[in-house]
Amino acid sequence: MIADEASMAHMMAAAQSGDREMYRVLLGEVQLWLARYFRKRVPPAQLDDLVQEVMMAVHAKRATWDPTRAFYPWLAAIARYRWVDHLRKVYRSAEDELGDHDAAEDSEEEAVMARMSLERLFVHLPDRQVEVIELVKIEGLSIAEAAERTGQSESLVKVNIHRGLKKLSALVEKAE
Amino acid sequence: MNRVPNPLIDELAADLAPVAPIRPWHGALLVALSALATVVLVELVDGLWRGIATGAASSIFFIANGMLGLLGVAAAGAVISMASPRVGNRHEGARWSAAMLGLLPLTALLALGAGGFYAAVSSDRYGFECFLAGAGFGLVTATALVLWLRRGAPVSLGAAGLFTGIAAGAIGSFAYGLACPIDTIDHLGIWHVAPVALMGLVGRIAVPPLVRW
Repeated sequence: MIADEASMAHMMAAAQSGDREMYRVLLGEVQLWLARYFRKRVPPAQLDDLVQEVMMAVHAKRATWDPTRAFYPWLAAIARYRWVDHLRKVYRSAEDELGDHDAAEDSEEEAVMARMSLERLFVHLPDRQVEVIELVKIEGLSIAEAAERTGQSESLVKVNIHRGLKKLSALVEKAE
Repeated sequence: MNRVPNPLIDELAADLAPVAPIRPWHGALLVALSALATVVLVELVDGLWRGIATGAASSIFFIANGMLGLLGVAAAGAVISMASPRVGNRHEGARWSAAMLGLLPLTALLALGAGGFYAAVSSDRYGFECFLAGAGFGLVTATALVLWLRRGAPVSLGAAGLFTGIAAGAIGSFAYGLACPIDTIDHLGIWHVAPVALMGLVGRIAVPPLVRW
């Protein structure tokens, strides 16, 4: 079980004041939360890199968390931002498999995760854009393979990926 | 995934130094001071219109400049909150305020008709000057907001750029509006609103690369 909102906010406030022990605990929880947050949307081989990238972003931007606001929506916004960035940059290698490394979750955690999940971003995109982003950017198919699989032309696959990623960027904060 | 030892956590914890959390009111103060500086600059460069104090200004003067000022506040507020991101930030106030400002050119169009609207655009000898001055004076606010965003962690770069431009254009046009004695709906609705559109476009294009992190 990952620490609840009140505990995370308390630890983050302490971290902003320079409490290293509390910060160490907080980062451990953040690491765990991020690994769950990104599963199924990032192949395991890239998961650690992305989690560490977000943790470094959290460290660099720790002053931007407003102690009067909730912690998890702040963390989720940064995680989404880095994930969309990651999709732009990374093509999955053929040997990577999407994992289903489930861990037990309690209902409160599930509710929080669901409200801020990455899936919530996809529901705002047309199916044809979601389909090609998943095939090319997450499953690692080539443009030609995705075109063949979906029946879209290669140009259309490229256009739909471009438009889809652009729309995802615009939805990072907005979509709940 | 279990809690596994991670050398990165040790490194980040070792690097931890106290930080002052971003406070929205710091951003609000920054924008207020930049808006005030813009008005002072307008006074120094052009001189504020004394007719405002003597009752010479029409109702539409106060309505148009009031709408510009409110849009500036709403858009700047959206930008200030973007520095501290969170899922669920929607910025509806700024969007509705921007839509509301669109009533001014729409009113001019409906009141003058297409021909009269075109004539107002093409024959207003002071219009282009107001347009350029409004956008130019907006650069003070734009600079302040870009600095604020660079300190923060904006995650919606396109929206941050757009609202930065809109806030800058609105506050710049509001400040210059206090120096402009032409208080008709066709002049205000066209040439004092146009800087908002221009700066919104410029902000949408120019600001994201400046605040990317």
